[in-house]
Amino acid sequence: MDTDPLVAVHQVSFSREGRPIFQGLHLNVAPGSVTAIIGGSGTGKTTLLNLIGGRLHPDAGEVRVAGETVSSLSRKGLFALRKRMGMLFQSNALLTDLDAYENVAFPMREHTQLPEALIHHLVLMKLELVGLRGARRSYPGELSGGMARRVALARAIALDPMMVMYDEPFAGLDPISMGVIVKLIRDLNDALGMTSIIVTHDVAEACTIADYMYLLGDGHVIAEGTPAEMQKTSAPDVRQFMAGLPDGPVAFHYPAAEYLTDLKAVGGL
Amino acid sequence: MSVIGWGIDVIRRLGQRAIDGVGRLGRATFFLGRVAPSLGLILGRFRLIVQQLYMTGVLTLIIILVSGAFVGMILALQGYNTLVRYDAQSSLGLLVALSLTRELGPVLAALLFAGRAGSALTAEIGLMKTTEQLAGMEMMAVDPLFRVVAPRFWAGWIAVPLLAMIFTAVGIIGAYVVAVGDLGLDGGVFWSQMQSGVSVTNDVLGGLIKSIVFGFVISWIAVFEGYDAKPTSEGVSRATTRTVVSSSLAILGLDFIMTAFMLRGL
Repeated sequence: MDTDPLVAVHQVSFSREGRPIFQGLHLNVAPGSVTAIIGGSGTGKTTLLNLIGGRLHPDAGEVRVAGETVSSLSRKGLFALRKRMGMLFQSNALLTDLDAYENVAFPMREHTQLPEALIHHLVLMKLELVGLRGARRSYPGELSGGMARRVALARAIALDPMMVMYDEPFAGLDPISMGVIVKLIRDLNDALGMTSIIVTHDVAEACTIADYMYLLGDGHVIAEGTPAEMQKTSAPDVRQFMAGLPDGPVAFHYPAAEYLTDLKAVGGL
Repeated sequence: MSVIGWGIDVIRRLGQRAIDGVGRLGRATFFLGRVAPSLGLILGRFRLIVQQLYMTGVLTLIIILVSGAFVGMILALQGYNTLVRYDAQSSLGLLVALSLTRELGPVLAALLFAGRAGSALTAEIGLMKTTEQLAGMEMMAVDPLFRVVAPRFWAGWIAVPLLAMIFTAVGIIGAYVVAVGDLGLDGGVFWSQMQSGVSVTNDVLGGLIKSIVFGFVISWIAVFEGYDAKPTSEGVSRATTRTVVSSSLAILGLDFIMTAFMLRGL
């Protein structure tokens, strides 16, 4: 990773309502790569995307995207940067009062003065890429989970961004839809010359498409490497996550008082 | 818990409520400060306001028309019943017109608007927040305050005075139908009393000012509550309830203050 990173998260600390989420988080995303950020639920993966997208500001450290420090940008500068970023939300965040076509056209209509004929071409091209040109007049409520995610993906690449952030892109999909999304992320990344950041807890899928992976835990990166390196590692906390073992360094039990004490406490005894 | 402990707890909760209330008011004011300057920007995309005028104004028309007609008809019946005792039934047209233009038109139209459109605005914005649509827009470099909130705010503000005028007009027609058609009053007397007794500057303008103020307050409360709602189903339902309750109380409270000023002069 010697090239200038597109995204550099440098010694970032962040806490929410007094609860520390990141402490000294440090990671880089190389341009043109697919980088997977994996970690258990509640390790702040989505928060990390919000820090990169400038929706949250770090308490300490800095996040640089394409050479610009995100937290020091003005609102105008931030919006200019965001036009070059796409984001796929876990909930898809499609506008429910617009159909698939209008959802994809939305960023184009908001940010460009393109003539209608050109918007029509562009929208159909994006929808063709995700295989949903035929479903363009369906509303988000009429689409299946996998189709809605593909529409959201088409919208995320509507303005040909330099990078796309995927928040749990594989969550809640059937195996076929999952396979489609996995393939699309890799193909779009390579065909459009983008950079992709995938935040997920689906280790197997992440391993199949990522060039580089980071494992988050305890507010910082606990392991990093290519998928092959990550799968070979012998560190117990990494092994537990990669192999999906229910107990290990990450305890099965949430911290609690002693079991017997808790049992006796019922009814205020 | 001891009585003293309980007492302290009550005081603490009261204080907490007061602080929360003041905090909300502060946030709402900041919010207004961010939304209000958008008029210039949004006029460039007037289509957005027109769309919302349809959603808030046109779709509220039915309830306004029906309620207005009934209120007018009831006013005629009740007014006639009282006036006829003093042999003053010829003033019925004037009574109906003054009641509607000065009070009932602006107030009832605003209350109906808060229930029909204000609650819908809050629920819509709150649900957009819950389903991350607002966050999605932000990440697409589209400001939801400008794209979603501002058009609804301006449209609501414009819609209320128009609806109040329609309410008043339909109410007067309803009263005319009952008074002339059913109670046997002379149509000419009905209109001429109204014409000579209603002052454009005092009564009509006063009512218009009221409905403009109500429109501003309802729209402000509705969009703020939606934007400020907790992004959960319970949060949206609470916000919707708060919109209707706060708007209704604000309408009645402000109506009292404005009426006092208008009757006594500034």
